[in-house]
Amino acid sequence: MRTNDAQTAFVECLDRHRGILIKVAGAYCRDLAGREDLIAEIVAQLWRAYGRFDERAAFSTWMYRIAVNVAISFRRAEMRKTRNVEAAEPAILEMLPSPPEPQSDAALALVREFIEELDELNRALMILYLADNSYAEIAAILGISETNVATKIGRIKQRLKRDIAAR
Amino acid sequence: MELEELKDLWNESNRKLQASSRLNTLLFAQWNLRKADTSLKRLARGIGVELTVTLIGIVLLGWFAADHAREPRFFIPAALLDVYAIALAVAAARQLFELRSLDYDEPVVAIQDRLQGLRLARIRATMGTLLFAPLMWVPLLIVATRAFLGIDIYAAASPAWLTANVLFGLAVIPTAVVIARAFGPRLERSTPMRFLADEIAGRSLAAALDDLAAIRRFAEEG
Repeated sequence: MRTNDAQTAFVECLDRHRGILIKVAGAYCRDLAGREDLIAEIVAQLWRAYGRFDERAAFSTWMYRIAVNVAISFRRAEMRKTRNVEAAEPAILEMLPSPPEPQSDAALALVREFIEELDELNRALMILYLADNSYAEIAAILGISETNVATKIGRIKQRLKRDIAAR
Repeated sequence: MELEELKDLWNESNRKLQASSRLNTLLFAQWNLRKADTSLKRLARGIGVELTVTLIGIVLLGWFAADHAREPRFFIPAALLDVYAIALAVAAARQLFELRSLDYDEPVVAIQDRLQGLRLARIRATMGTLLFAPLMWVPLLIVATRAFLGIDIYAAASPAWLTANVLFGLAVIPTAVVIARAFGPRLERSTPMRFLADEIAGRSLAAALDDLAAIRRFAEEG
């Protein structure tokens, strides 16, 4: 049986790293309802695995690994079926209203579009790279070699240049 | 735009999103393990139910077969159904074992490879069930009428009727494949009929194989 202390510690860690939830959910789900469902699924998996978390390891790396795994599976499942619309449940992560910023909107839309065009695994690689993870960390999260990470990032850079030039 | 500029934009956008979000701590205070349900747990429960029902079927069929060991006309169909049920149970047990040993905190490529393997196993099991089911209809009729109604279907129905049913079962399989291939793509997506058509026609299998190949290509160097 999990103690209240463990749950409190888990919630604290989760709150400190909630940016990871936002980044991953934002990259794999376009609509708000989908993002909330995905975040709930990620949090449930994190809590399920929390008992096995080795506290000597970085929480963020562990969290990225689970979040990306869940997000890819979630997206694949969503692509196979249309989600049934259900009555809204309380969201684990509440999004508060924020003022729009028109100047950066176009550039940001371009960034999101570029990321959404990548397949699930390259998208994961990209999120990890954009979040300033080192090649070694990305390699550890994805389970590929550092050389492979560098090669793939190089290819994505070339693709970005091509895409921008084509617009 | 360079990747570094993209990184700045992305991080700035996420910083703002993070600032405009808060964890629903009240919800967490009420959260318990029962609520911490996941799609994997739901899938495992579904396969568990499938396995339990199949195991009950195996026991009942074994019982019936033992009771009619000296009557080949009943024993053979019961044994056929039992072999079919055992194959289904083995497939379900393997899937359940694979699911239970899955840890989402393992590296992404390895987990996605295993999940895709699991999806392939489920698709193959469903295809097997759907495609062999018409052949099992006659043995099931023979066994069920004997077991539940005490009727000897060989005496009640003519041999021609039984033969026609076996032939019908054989004809249903290729016909179903042809129909599913021809009309499946015209059905509305995400409906049970479309799901069935995609499974029978092998489209789900092909898509799952493509996904698995993509994961393996990603893992390859260079």
